[in-house]
Amino acid sequence: MISLLLRLYPARWRARYGDEFAAVLEERPLGPFDVADVLLGALDAHLHLRGLGAASQHAKGFAMSLRIGGYAAIVGAALIGLVIVLTGGRTEGPESAVPIALLVALAVLLVGLAGMSAFQARSDPWLVWSAFAMTAVGTVVIFIASVSDLAGVGPGDWRDGLLPIGLVTAGLGSVLFGVATYRVSVLSRTGALALAIGPVAALIGAITVGQDAWELGMLLVLVGTVSFLAGWLTLGVAAIRLDRASSTLRPA
Amino acid sequence: MVTQIPELGRFAEPALLILVSLSDGPKHGYAIMADVEAGTGRPLGPGTLYAALARLEERGLIEALAPVDRRRPYRLTAVGATVLAEQLRELKGFVDLGLRRLGSPTG
Repeated sequence: MISLLLRLYPARWRARYGDEFAAVLEERPLGPFDVADVLLGALDAHLHLRGLGAASQHAKGFAMSLRIGGYAAIVGAALIGLVIVLTGGRTEGPESAVPIALLVALAVLLVGLAGMSAFQARSDPWLVWSAFAMTAVGTVVIFIASVSDLAGVGPGDWRDGLLPIGLVTAGLGSVLFGVATYRVSVLSRTGALALAIGPVAALIGAITVGQDAWELGMLLVLVGTVSFLAGWLTLGVAAIRLDRASSTLRPA
Repeated sequence: MVTQIPELGRFAEPALLILVSLSDGPKHGYAIMADVEAGTGRPLGPGTLYAALARLEERGLIEALAPVDRRRPYRLTAVGATVLAEQLRELKGFVDLGLRRLGSPTG
């Protein structure tokens, strides 16, 4: 009976599912409901069959975004942290190495942001892509200001004004991305919170420094920067774990 | 965009039941059928199960693991977990709306 029912399915379907399907049918005596259901299933398989067994390219693309985004977030945040630790927070360095390292790290973080945005955008596309766009615009402005500064191109006032605008825009974009990530709730919510809080604390700290409260301001900048970097690292680790979860799990 | 469960037509409901069944770990076909029946009180036929499994696998929402004897376990992918979570949130919103209109507490 089971072998007869199986023969009703297309050969290609049987090649992929035949063995396990037969094992399921053998688990219990087949009632009229089961037989009718299998007959309808066979008809459906003939009508529907296309590309069975092939993983969706679209889904592969999403997994790839997640993986690249995770690694980029970790590398970018670690590089910024390393530069800060090695230089004690000073942006001046020999032969412009420090600003160049920070720009590279920002570019890597932007790749991380793009990867994670692509993965999360299906749940809240407007918020996620707005956050990405704001951060990307801010990062480009930072690049223009920094490269102009390194090359000595353009008036100094213009460059000095551009950099804070870029930093604030990118910071607000990161806050928005943290909020979006928290709402989507697929990656780490702790990391999302840290990412959302960090730039706000750093911005308040920067304003406070300029108002004769240097120590408090610097403390807030430090806390904000650590929170920002910890947020990216946590989200990066969460993204890689999520990606790996589909290749390391074994049957319970 | 990744496939929404409602795009699976008449297999949307079995697909949702299968995804929920796999949300606590990989299961093979018969274990999914038993789990769904235990959870909903309604049987899931083998023909419907495999039609839905094939569609979910095609769309990358689940993936097959190496067979154990002749039984092949399936597990949720990261994308499948995201789609399931989103679908359940939407359903919860709809359930809450219905219960509010009926004047029942939403819990």
